[in-house]
Amino acid sequence: MSSPKISMSDLEHIAKLARIELTETEKTIFLPQLESVIQYFDVLNKINTDNIEPTFRVNDQSNIFHQDEIKESISVTDALSGAGRTKDNYFVVTATIKK
Amino acid sequence: MDFSTLSINQLRQGLLDKKFTAVEIVNFFLDKIKRIDPQIKAFITITDEIALNKAKLLDEKISKGELIGKLAGSIMAVKDIFLTKDIETTASSQVLKGYIPKYSSTVYQKLIDQDAIIIGKTNTDPFAFGGSTENSGYFTTKNPWDQTRIPGGSSGGSAAAQTAGLCTFALGTDTGGSIRLPASLCGVSGLKPTYGLNSRYGITAMASSFDCPGVFANSAEDLAILTKITAGRDSHDATSINQTIPDYSKLLENTTISGLKIGLPKEYFTDDIDPEVKNSVLTAAKEFEKRGAKLIEISLPSTNLGIAVYYVLVPSEISANMARYDGIRFGQSDISSPDIISYYMKTRGKFMEAEIKRRIMIGTYALSSGYYDAYYTKAAKVRTLIKKEFTDVLSQVDVILAPVSSTTAWKIGEKANDPLKMYLVDAYTVCINVAGVPSVAIPCGFDSKNLPIGFQLIGNFFEESKILSIAHQFQKITNHHLQKPKL
Repeated sequence: MSSPKISMSDLEHIAKLARIELTETEKTIFLPQLESVIQYFDVLNKINTDNIEPTFRVNDQSNIFHQDEIKESISVTDALSGAGRTKDNYFVVTATIKK
Repeated sequence: MDFSTLSINQLRQGLLDKKFTAVEIVNFFLDKIKRIDPQIKAFITITDEIALNKAKLLDEKISKGELIGKLAGSIMAVKDIFLTKDIETTASSQVLKGYIPKYSSTVYQKLIDQDAIIIGKTNTDPFAFGGSTENSGYFTTKNPWDQTRIPGGSSGGSAAAQTAGLCTFALGTDTGGSIRLPASLCGVSGLKPTYGLNSRYGITAMASSFDCPGVFANSAEDLAILTKITAGRDSHDATSINQTIPDYSKLLENTTISGLKIGLPKEYFTDDIDPEVKNSVLTAAKEFEKRGAKLIEISLPSTNLGIAVYYVLVPSEISANMARYDGIRFGQSDISSPDIISYYMKTRGKFMEAEIKRRIMIGTYALSSGYYDAYYTKAAKVRTLIKKEFTDVLSQVDVILAPVSSTTAWKIGEKANDPLKMYLVDAYTVCINVAGVPSVAIPCGFDSKNLPIGFQLIGNFFEESKILSIAHQFQKITNHHLQKPKL
């Protein structure tokens, strides 16, 4: 298939899926940029890939197992040290459920 | 004494012979950084106190006759996407401004365990997304050979620090060329190892099936010492390889140039390449021919598909990795929103640099319902073809020799506003990452503007010892790698 043209509403939809708030200026800049990159992908459509398996990783390792051992980890204080908001050894998160 | 021209072994031996102290070495580099870095801007953070304290401890160890590590006396610059315990790690993004990690990346830890001393964290494109450092959320690093030009990227700060003599070696990562491109444009040596040779643990994730941590140094000899230390299985990275790591230093003389079959891929020597770069790389190939190597024209027919495959797959993996960033456990956040969705959108919208947003959105698009097979699966299938071309060719020749970049360093701003143009600078590097094989980039001369030119030697999976050996033998008969900019 050839790459469809991306509309402003497509861009807004992608940004929403990606959880990124864009300013109007950003939208105007990004739209043609994304379009040119995605149109460039068309070159792949000309390639016959029938009966070709996709490669998702380049080495042939799979199912790496290890013993489920309890090991020393970072302390609660250290784990919380980078957080903007904490309370009683917990991270504070913006409300996820409406009242 | 100019410590920046000494090799890893010379620095260590000099300490043992009491010719100089670790404190003297650190002070030399700190003075040089103080003098030169305000112009070059290679560093985001300078770890002067830590470096001096480590040096004092090392000098005490030596005076007591205690054992010292293989990298004692070596000064290390670290790309700012490697987590360094208790040292700010920004990934050159406003997203992580002020972030002090509480654990270290494996590769960095292995190096400091051998007594390497960190002198600072270097600038990069944010989270390594870019090829020039111009995307950095802080500033653009200047190429020390011509300060109106970019150093290449994403590991541009590390490459600039290396060529400017601000460290003994530097850490970088190569997802699509981010070690080899800046190494080539700054005139230093850099190794992109086989995928999985060096652990990815503790490095901010870009594209998990591509990311390769690696090193910059003044010579292939130093790259060999460093890679022996960094390589190997890490239980924290399931994709790291579980095999015996050869002693690369001992194998540096092992490859015989006479009779060596060197493949020159015709797709890398087309008219798209700057004639001065082409001539310089071909002259390097002829150095091997003079010593009995056979130059064989080969073909990697899918080369022109590399950028498209890369910029579908890598942003797809980026969008999945960066989806985890929420600013709750670390990093910057905007808490002005009452609900969680707008909290995410504002946090990510406010602090992520433009290139991060672009790549997440390209990946989100490629992975979205209805487009997944057309883009992601299709690109993954073409990845199979590209990988097979490399392994097939490398069963017929011993090594592939190619340019790293079609041009020398370009002007700051020249490509900054055109993402596609910027993506295309990686045309000669990305296929190697798509395939997963190793490649070492080393300098081979200068153009008429006195800008460095480099070439790469590409081997089959886990053939680091072979490509480092060939690079080393080139450096024994040439002096391009010893050239330093006047600063």
